[in-house]
Amino acid sequence: MKFYDALGLEPKLALDSDDVKKRFYDRSRQWHPDRFSRASSEEKQRSEEMTAVLNDAFRALRDPVTRAEYFLRESGLELSKDAPPELLEEVFDLNMALEELRGGDESARPQLAAAQERFTGMLGDADASLAEYFTNYDEKPDRAVLDEIHATLNRRRYVSNLVREVEKELNVHSAN
Amino acid sequence: MAYSDKVLDHYNNPRNVGSFDKSDPNVGTGMVGAPECGDVMKLQVKVNPATGVIEDAKFKTFGCGSAIASSSLATEWLRGKTVDEALAIKNTDIVNELSLPPVKIHCSVLAEDAIKAAIDDYKKKTEKVETSVQAQA
Repeated sequence: MKFYDALGLEPKLALDSDDVKKRFYDRSRQWHPDRFSRASSEEKQRSEEMTAVLNDAFRALRDPVTRAEYFLRESGLELSKDAPPELLEEVFDLNMALEELRGGDESARPQLAAAQERFTGMLGDADASLAEYFTNYDEKPDRAVLDEIHATLNRRRYVSNLVREVEKELNVHSAN
Repeated sequence: MAYSDKVLDHYNNPRNVGSFDKSDPNVGTGMVGAPECGDVMKLQVKVNPATGVIEDAKFKTFGCGSAIASSSLATEWLRGKTVDEALAIKNTDIVNELSLPPVKIHCSVLAEDAIKAAIDDYKKKTEKVETSVQAQA
């Protein structure tokens, strides 16, 4: 996988973020265009290309979520955008409460605050599950684990959009 | 991006907003969502069990104007159709009627999914009733 190669890493899901950062800085220094000011035009071009790839690789691999998305795509999985059905009912109620608060009904506030807490907790749970799946897959590459990661990423994306929405509304309509 | 007049009409005057009691055996409920935009759509049909005709349909959608218009239009079309006719409604019919641009086609897909989910829920309920009736016989 190109981004792993750029940083000289084995294609593993679980990575040490300090190590990723160090590799990025070391290699960026090594390939910095300033060091190639007197080099041939081919070498200059190579340095620019490497710098660009390193930047993309660091951006993708430093964060577990974007790293997993990259890893899944490189493994040939098409990332679906299905909403998690087990959450829809709750999301619907949450949206009802958001609408009430927007309409000035303050009685919806405690429900939203509780939902915010619950969904934030779900984000933490999703991150913990991802870390566990990463280790499992690195030890024994199994397609079923990739599917679990895929489902967790979908749920995480959906929940994080919700949390953002609820936070926004609670702040906009915050009581004096 | 400009909405078509028909989208605006449904958005400003949504038809059939509301809900039925989802525990009613003649009511089918479909709940679908899209993770990218966070849209949620609830669509319900009330079926006459003797004729299989959808007598009433209601929806409530949280989402963009096109998602609201798609589900509003869907409830209009559902009324008076049989369950099987309802399943023949395609998202492309909605796209054409509302002149949805390509970036909003997923809204019509969501509405089609909601129809299918609602009918599916109704069918499951009637099957359950039939099995329990047979079990009693």
